[in-house]
Amino acid sequence: MIEDEQKFITLIKEHQALIHKVCTMYEHDADVRNDLFQEIVLQLWKSFHSFRGEAKITTWMYRIALNTAISGFRKQSRNIKTEDIRQKHFNISDTPNHNEREDDFLRLQWAIRQLPEIERAMIMMALEEVPYDEIADTIGITQNNVRVRMNRIREKIKKLMLT
Amino acid sequence: MELDDLKTIWKSSEGFRPKNEAELTRMLQGHSKSIIYKLKRNVWFEMIFTLLSGAMLLAYTLTLPSGALKWVAMSILIVFSIYTLYYAKKLVLLSTFEIGAENIKTNLEKLIRNLTGYLRFYKRSYTILYPLYFILSLILIAIEQGASGFIDNISKPKTILVLFTLAAVFYFCCTWLVDWLLKRLYGNHLDKMKALLNDIDPSAEIELR
Repeated sequence: MIEDEQKFITLIKEHQALIHKVCTMYEHDADVRNDLFQEIVLQLWKSFHSFRGEAKITTWMYRIALNTAISGFRKQSRNIKTEDIRQKHFNISDTPNHNEREDDFLRLQWAIRQLPEIERAMIMMALEEVPYDEIADTIGITQNNVRVRMNRIREKIKKLMLT
Repeated sequence: MELDDLKTIWKSSEGFRPKNEAELTRMLQGHSKSIIYKLKRNVWFEMIFTLLSGAMLLAYTLTLPSGALKWVAMSILIVFSIYTLYYAKKLVLLSTFEIGAENIKTNLEKLIRNLTGYLRFYKRSYTILYPLYFILSLILIAIEQGASGFIDNISKPKTILVLFTLAAVFYFCCTWLVDWLLKRLYGNHLDKMKALLNDIDPSAEIELR
């Protein structure tokens, strides 16, 4: 059990960027984001014993992380301030040591957050180089549907980033 | 802007503070805030409450002499036993539920079915069982008082009015309270999940209605 736990923690440490990205895309409140991170880790731990390595580790992690963020997690009823993320991010670009690359990233992050939750999951996986057949498997739609929807999502993001 | 350009931008930042081993270990000791965990907690609470109430009612029933009240109490005990079985079955189902075992669409369908079934069970309990118990109580009182005495009593306009008002108030209070509570506890989450499923596959949502 302890050996399993150690193995699991090493795995999470190695791939925690993936969980952080999912949390950032689905929650903008820092406290809720932290709760979501913990929830994803707990759900991964719960499923860890049944993971037989048939799928790629990142595919398995995406499946659980996205399922948790999209449908499994319920926010605590704390007073969450609705913030204008875009304004917040774009204000960062005014700071002197902020570079253009980071600004582009924040702009992209903001644009993704404006998308419906399922589209957010799809574009995130695509940006992480997850193949279309794995995206289709994770969401539960056909590859053709992924292709069609990805074109639409790309157009939406392009428009959002230009506004 | 092509997908490859977006990928380049996406990979340009890894701006997060990585969690260390101690933080991750602490997280594993924490409590889940998942919808399944909350459902399980509520079902446990209801089962314990039903079992305790059942035990108290059983103790009271054993002290009662034979008669209408004893039969009512015994029928309530039977209903409590059915509820307990339902809760036990629900707990087994919820314990085996793994959030990541399926794809997002199937997971949503399962969660919606689970929640809808749970809410339907409550609504049915309150809309069927309470009027049923009201009628059952009247029948048992009729048996206790004897048919003629009961008809004499119940045919008085004042008694009819009191019974009717009581039944209406009791029924509407119960159904309103249950509807409000369930909506508050799970309604919004259920609506959100249905909308998500509809976004993935509009035909899937229709099947679940």
